[in-house]
Amino acid sequence: MGTYILRRLILNILVLWLVATMVFLSIRVLPGNYASQQFAGANLGGVSSEAIAQAERALGLDKPMPEQYANFMGDLLTLDLGESFRTRNSTWSELRKALPYSAELGVFIILVGFSVAIPVGVISAVKQDQTPDYILRGIAISALAAPVFWTASIAVIFVLEWDLIQINVTGQPHVWSDPWGAIQWYMIPGFVGGFASTATVMRLLRSELLEVLRQDYIRTARAKGLTERTVIMRHAMRNAFLPVLTVMGLTLATLISSQIVLEQMFNIPGVGRMLFRSITLRDYPLFQGLVIVTTFVIVTTNLAVDVLYGFLDPRVRLS
Amino acid sequence: MANMNYWSRRRLSRRGMLRGAAVGTAGVAGAVLIGCGDDDDGGDDGGGGGGGGGTAAPDGGAGPVKGGISSLVSNPVYDSVDAHTSVSSPVLTVTSRAQSKLLRFSNPNSGEVAGDLIESWEVVSPSEYVLNMRQGVTWHDAGPGADNPASTAGRPLTTEDIKWNIERQQNAVFADGSAGAFGRSAYWNKVASVDITDKEIKLTLKADDATFVEGLANEFNTINQPEMAEAVDTNFSEITPDKVIGTGPFILTEWRPGERVSGVRNPNYYNPDRPYLDGFVYGAVFEDPTAYRIGFEQNQIDRFTDPDPDTTLAIGADKPDTTNTKWQGVANTVAAYTNTNIAPFSDLRLAKAIDLSIDRRLIIQQLHNGFGRVSGPVAWLQEKWALSQEELETRPGYQSGAARDADIVEANKLWQAGGGADVGDISWTIAQSWAARASWNATPELIVGMFNDAFSTSQFSAKTVPYGEIIPSWSDGTFDNFFAWIANIEIPDARADMQAAFGTGSPSNFWNVNQPDDIDAPLAASVATTDIDEALELVTGVQRYILDNGQFGRHICYNYIFPAISWNHYHTTGGAADEGWNFIAASLDGLDEWLDQTESTFSDRQHPTATPV
Repeated sequence: MGTYILRRLILNILVLWLVATMVFLSIRVLPGNYASQQFAGANLGGVSSEAIAQAERALGLDKPMPEQYANFMGDLLTLDLGESFRTRNSTWSELRKALPYSAELGVFIILVGFSVAIPVGVISAVKQDQTPDYILRGIAISALAAPVFWTASIAVIFVLEWDLIQINVTGQPHVWSDPWGAIQWYMIPGFVGGFASTATVMRLLRSELLEVLRQDYIRTARAKGLTERTVIMRHAMRNAFLPVLTVMGLTLATLISSQIVLEQMFNIPGVGRMLFRSITLRDYPLFQGLVIVTTFVIVTTNLAVDVLYGFLDPRVRLS
Repeated sequence: MANMNYWSRRRLSRRGMLRGAAVGTAGVAGAVLIGCGDDDDGGDDGGGGGGGGGTAAPDGGAGPVKGGISSLVSNPVYDSVDAHTSVSSPVLTVTSRAQSKLLRFSNPNSGEVAGDLIESWEVVSPSEYVLNMRQGVTWHDAGPGADNPASTAGRPLTTEDIKWNIERQQNAVFADGSAGAFGRSAYWNKVASVDITDKEIKLTLKADDATFVEGLANEFNTINQPEMAEAVDTNFSEITPDKVIGTGPFILTEWRPGERVSGVRNPNYYNPDRPYLDGFVYGAVFEDPTAYRIGFEQNQIDRFTDPDPDTTLAIGADKPDTTNTKWQGVANTVAAYTNTNIAPFSDLRLAKAIDLSIDRRLIIQQLHNGFGRVSGPVAWLQEKWALSQEELETRPGYQSGAARDADIVEANKLWQAGGGADVGDISWTIAQSWAARASWNATPELIVGMFNDAFSTSQFSAKTVPYGEIIPSWSDGTFDNFFAWIANIEIPDARADMQAAFGTGSPSNFWNVNQPDDIDAPLAASVATTDIDEALELVTGVQRYILDNGQFGRHICYNYIFPAISWNHYHTTGGAADEGWNFIAASLDGLDEWLDQTESTFSDRQHPTATPV
């Protein structure tokens, strides 16, 4: 196991280097830079090429690309992700501000998603090809098919029409500072995001459970006279849950940076929105830093899930 | 209210427009678009909080009262902490609250000015001005700027400070001697000498200039504290509140781009009656209409505008009794530009053909739902100086119906005479920041489709390019033909703008227009004269000449307007429908905003907190 982990770690470092190089190049392929974004809509007579050159010098954008890359990689080795062009704060400090928001939303989404997906997946499998299965699968497919911006917009219309909750898009409270305010704020994106993820997990769990329920050891368990509840929860679920665990891990990691649409719609200053804004504003250091950190989280989570897999399933550990 | 004004009466819905286009009657459709009929603007003139006196309540209700903190929407990007080196209007929304100018507009629509740091002024001659400095004005004595060791908190404003601000912009260099981009350098270089006493500043101009006084109220012409500015000037693009100290109505306490800006009342402001507010908060940056809608409808923000007017209008229609919708003209003029410096468009026949082929009303309808009005060489926002809508309706390139068909015939003749198909492929550049907006993303297809249709060709194609790539090519005259909007209005008086755009040798005359007799001389005479009627006649004549020559490649099209919606409790002086009060009046917001605490919408509101000093 130790060798396996070491091998994976080395592979992960290689992945991080490749990703870092790709993000460095890809953001620069896009037309324009932060200096030019600053001058968008500027007075025709008020801006000169000197002004732009001056702004580019201040941002270090006047240096040759190889020099910028060498500086970037050198800084990366010391875990220095640079400073945001826009705020002049370090990428780490920007991340520290954004991460809690994304984490809070992510936890909300996962709580909603999994608390719905698991029982629904189990019911759907146990009641295979019966009315509850058809209904639940229909709902799941609908949730999967409906774009989050659409479901969120519909939800907002209802909330505004009936003034059901206070969505604090300007206060942006944290759960620990204003629990009820934060819960109201995250409620729609949490439920919408949660339901969207429900479908994947529910369908995965259902198919895995159906597979497991056909196994000999399940028949044996039933033959022993165990209750159906015990058979499902104790014997079937443990095996069926392994792939679901993988999805959970990856969902957790990607949720942090993938909720761009919901974060935009509800003015949540999370990582997804920051990532989007860093691209539109060509804030190179922030974009690079966010992608690298997100990649690190994903590959590390992946590794952690694989290791956890080994503990949950001895066959994996042996192989 | 909003639904009864000029714009809503005269616009077609986008769907209606498309229906019109579908039956192939573009000319007919053009005839019913906005701006083609009588100029029945009406509307109040928005009051005018001049001279530090009280301001009438815009709706005729109770007068302004003190107290409360406004909650508004912030901008994501600011280019400088210093208005002198800024080229973007968002900066002015912040600096205008914290810093004063020598004069300010009391009515930007008409160009009336009132004293700010200058209490009164005397026009000794059209080239000599004596400015009497307001006494007892002090720099902020608290807040991040005052706490900065580089500043001198609480000291009196001096005439030396003002002289330093003028000379700094004239020289256009930073404290370390490096050259800087100071946008108002040309304006201040009209001044030959600055002589000061303890209370007076005497400005002697190099030539007579009747537009000079209005320029003192330009929102970019803030007065900085010299010692602070010298300490931070080369780091102007690092946005932090501790780089700003002023003498204005508010002390800036927080400036986090893309997040939050706030300020509190300056207790030592020279006018004890102002500001009305205890503070202001630009508390959110919304990038999605849903966020706008939630923020406003749940009364978290007092006022908002959205690039897509439909959202704003829908909210207003839904809450007619508790909200106000006010229309604002945008001082960004939309234009198409052909590069007449180089072939093939150095042949003026082609530039004229392009000018005739632009269907200005179609663009307004397609991109702005009809919310806009055509502009000639002088934008309609500069109403006093601009050619009337009625006259423009009769000018080639601005006509509709059968007259437009005749324009297209003439355009084709010119196009063929200039080379026609032999000109080859023509790439038309669209500013990326324009085309990136959801409601305007059809621009590339619209513009090239318009040209291709007009000339029955497929020579035109479009590409989107960032401003940063377009701008450097302006000054060397190598720019590609492009369609974009430019903030070319800083003051209501159009004379200086005209000189800048068309005057021989002007740094902003990127087309190298060289018409000493027909443009330079009359414009110079218009600037020099204090007889406004004479000046108007001269400027009008120049505009007609420019239109007759295809605008020399600088094809001004229109200025659009947008609705701003606010809750009943929120008041500001603002402009009436059709008026162009936006950033050129930024300093009035700080002075005239007030919150009516007796309104039910105020009690329902989520009250923001400004960061204290």
